[in-house]
Amino acid sequence: MNLPLPWPFDREYMQLALVVGIIVGACAPLVGTFLVDKHLSLMGDGIGHLAFAGVAGGLLLSISPIWTALGVAVAGALAVEWLRTRGRTSGDLALALFFYGGIAGGAVLASRAATDGITVNVLPYLFGSILTVTPGDLWMVGAIGATIVASVVFAHRAWFTIGLDDESARVMGLPVTALNSLLAVLTAVTIVAATRIVGVLLVAALMVLPVASARIVARSQRQTLLLATVTGVISSVIGLGIARIWGLAPGGTIVLVSAAIFAVVSVLRGKTHGAPIGHH
Amino acid sequence: MPTTATPTTVLTAHALSFAYDEALVVDDVGFSLAPGEFVALVGPNGSGKSTLLRLLLGLLRPATGHVELFGAAPGELDEPGRLGYVPQRGRLTPELPTTVREVVAGGRLSRRAWWRRPTAVDRDAVEHALTAVALTDLGDRLVTELSGGQQQRALIARALVADPELLILDEPVAGVDAESQRLFRDSLIHLVQAHQTTVLLVSHELGAVAADLDRVIVLKQRLMFDGPPADLAARGVSLGIHAEDLPLWLEDMQ
Repeated sequence: MNLPLPWPFDREYMQLALVVGIIVGACAPLVGTFLVDKHLSLMGDGIGHLAFAGVAGGLLLSISPIWTALGVAVAGALAVEWLRTRGRTSGDLALALFFYGGIAGGAVLASRAATDGITVNVLPYLFGSILTVTPGDLWMVGAIGATIVASVVFAHRAWFTIGLDDESARVMGLPVTALNSLLAVLTAVTIVAATRIVGVLLVAALMVLPVASARIVARSQRQTLLLATVTGVISSVIGLGIARIWGLAPGGTIVLVSAAIFAVVSVLRGKTHGAPIGHH
Repeated sequence: MPTTATPTTVLTAHALSFAYDEALVVDDVGFSLAPGEFVALVGPNGSGKSTLLRLLLGLLRPATGHVELFGAAPGELDEPGRLGYVPQRGRLTPELPTTVREVVAGGRLSRRAWWRRPTAVDRDAVEHALTAVALTDLGDRLVTELSGGQQQRALIARALVADPELLILDEPVAGVDAESQRLFRDSLIHLVQAHQTTVLLVSHELGAVAADLDRVIVLKQRLMFDGPPADLAARGVSLGIHAEDLPLWLEDMQ
């Protein structure tokens, strides 16, 4: 694959990164919108830390780190959801538990791998790397992206209704527990899909920042979802371009672009409405 | 085994008890609601009203006893849309921009599979429900921009949109302006009279609707009274409720 795209996307490795970046840039806010709606903005961060433990475990065992990350992240997401709803632990404490457990586990496993003489370079997994995207990744990310878009198309009304008031949603007969678990699993899958480009430590930002920008200007749930998705894609494309030009870690540049968009939107909104940031 | 409810009953509570840790908050409470009845469940703060409400809705499991909704256990209704629930306004705290129409449209999910797109029937029902609570002009506004009374009406429209046979409302008039209370009363009376909808109000103040009720159920852990409001007025504080705990409307009736 080498498409006639202009610089900085003229090279094949950049085009692979671009396609994966666009899919991830769209899917992270799609899932993130519902996390923000349910006051679970930090969910992505907690699961990202768990995915890091999975990556380190894969490196130690010489298994593809993406698959071990996927297993650990999905299991962790379901465990967080279970703790949050049925356990006696409150939502943010449940997240904190996994947050620190994941990063500590990852550190221990990575150091063990280093002691065993395995060459460990965890930085690309933590902050993303353009050069590590392979054609195989493209298929995996594409499949994940299609799953997420399909899930959102079918479930967005139910998720929004649960986000407004989960007890009313239960009375309406919605399968609240199953739909919450589905969202948790999709969060984990999105994080793993985004690992190559954005990295496990920054993916949560791409889930939340575009939503933060979108909700400042949106006038409905549907608009929020669409604007967040567009903002995520724009952040990815500009961020990847900047990363190539200056040879930077793409995760950082993508998230910084997303943060810059939020800042600009906030200022513009403040100027036209005189309202404080985040006021709604 | 639960006995099957007769067709003359939409909701039956059979000897319900519930305790948080060791403290009994609902103690052997039993009553039933007939089609088209307009009933208030009242009691002072801490009387177990909210717990009883959650037991009736199937959000809590009773320690003993059971609830029958249309002959089934709550949460196992074949048609969940037969039950309409209006939560307290305070539960409506959208984190994202949400229009009034989007809130109301969500109520239709009790009448169709959650993954299906809304049909023309669903959209008509939404417009109809908005009209019923006089919010048509505000359908595209964000719910956060509405007054408390308007938000309450949006929640009522979300319940009405599924055309329920039983409507359960939790503290619907608390802190609501007079205009909204009047609209609220009119729409409830219309529902009861024109559609034979059964209405259960759970409240500590009844304001505008006190005179229209068929029955009042007074709760203070146990069921203290169940009968027409006129009988209650005659018995007043002899029910064993401290005068200072009495709901405001109860004092007015004495």
